Amino acid sequence: MCSMPKMLPHDLTRNQIDRLGDRLRKGHIVDDDLRLLDSYRRSFSNSYEKVVGRIRNELGLNPTGRPQKTNTSIMEKLRRQSIRLSQMQDIAGCRIVVSDILTQDEVVERLKTLFFHVDIDDRREQPSHGYRAVHVIVEDSGKLVEVQVRTSLQHLWAEVSEKLSGVVDTSIKYGSGDEDILIILNTMSHKISEQELAEAVHLRIMASDDTDEDEEFLEGPKLPEIMLGRLSIARMLDAIVEVIPRLKGRDQ
Amino acid sequence: MIFLIQYDRQADRLISIESFSDSERSKAQDLLLSLELQLNQNGADKEVVLLEAESEDALRITHRRYFEDLSELLNPPSSIREPSLHSR
Repeated sequence: MCSMPKMLPHDLTRNQIDRLGDRLRKGHIVDDDLRLLDSYRRSFSNSYEKVVGRIRNELGLNPTGRPQKTNTSIMEKLRRQSIRLSQMQDIAGCRIVVSDILTQDEVVERLKTLFFHVDIDDRREQPSHGYRAVHVIVEDSGKLVEVQVRTSLQHLWAEVSEKLSGVVDTSIKYGSGDEDILIILNTMSHKISEQELAEAVHLRIMASDDTDEDEEFLEGPKLPEIMLGRLSIARMLDAIVEVIPRLKGRDQ
Repeated sequence: MIFLIQYDRQADRLISIESFSDSERSKAQDLLLSLELQLNQNGADKEVVLLEAESEDALRITHRRYFEDLSELLNPPSSIREPSLHSR
């Protein structure tokens, strides 16, 4: 039978938080440290509620919230990076999935207007091991809340990468592990980027009433090319399906 | 709605999902901590996470990996293969 949660005060000092982070990094986890970590995570609740509430009510969007990062994710991040616990920007956060990069840009702009203190981490230009998205870090009352804005294709890539990390090899998500999988994921990430840019041009042309753009339309990506691009992304998923049995066989 | 999810990453299996109303946040947070303490004592390598969404359907879109196994995830919905490219 596990012990019941014991509440601890929310006003931890930065020094206490970072010493807790150092202990978690070492890996020997005692219950009191988990309680302390939980107390720290809960100290983000008010800011989280405020930020997500404003996104829902004032922007009319429906983010999925993750009010507190899992303790295993926090510990893995502490071990992977030379980051202090008090510096971690994603203890609380939410995710918005949109259809295309034009809508993604629009949502990011609206978030920048809605919140006074924001930092933009655009991982479309500088992907993190193939991961593409825009993270908007909102500061509220000294607490940071991370808003992930992904397109459906970027989200698909992220979900596949995360799943493969869980099922096949935890290091895949961070750019290590089986070469074949990494090559497919990297190629797919590049292809998604190209595809989304082509679709954005197409959408812009479709939305334009300006007949002067007829010439641009002739030069822009055609619908069959766009559909073929989508098909090639789907084929990359099929390529992963083909690699998986070999990886599972290797583990047996 | 608030959802408390238990997931076995290695087995690629959703163990449980429990829902709470928005007013039950503290209760869900307490339960999450209880599970985390339990897992720590048992040395079990499971994931427990608290998520909030308008509905379970919305959650199934933004966090597909908890609900679909690898083969399902690699067979994306038709919206991925055939995007909507109407003018905005």
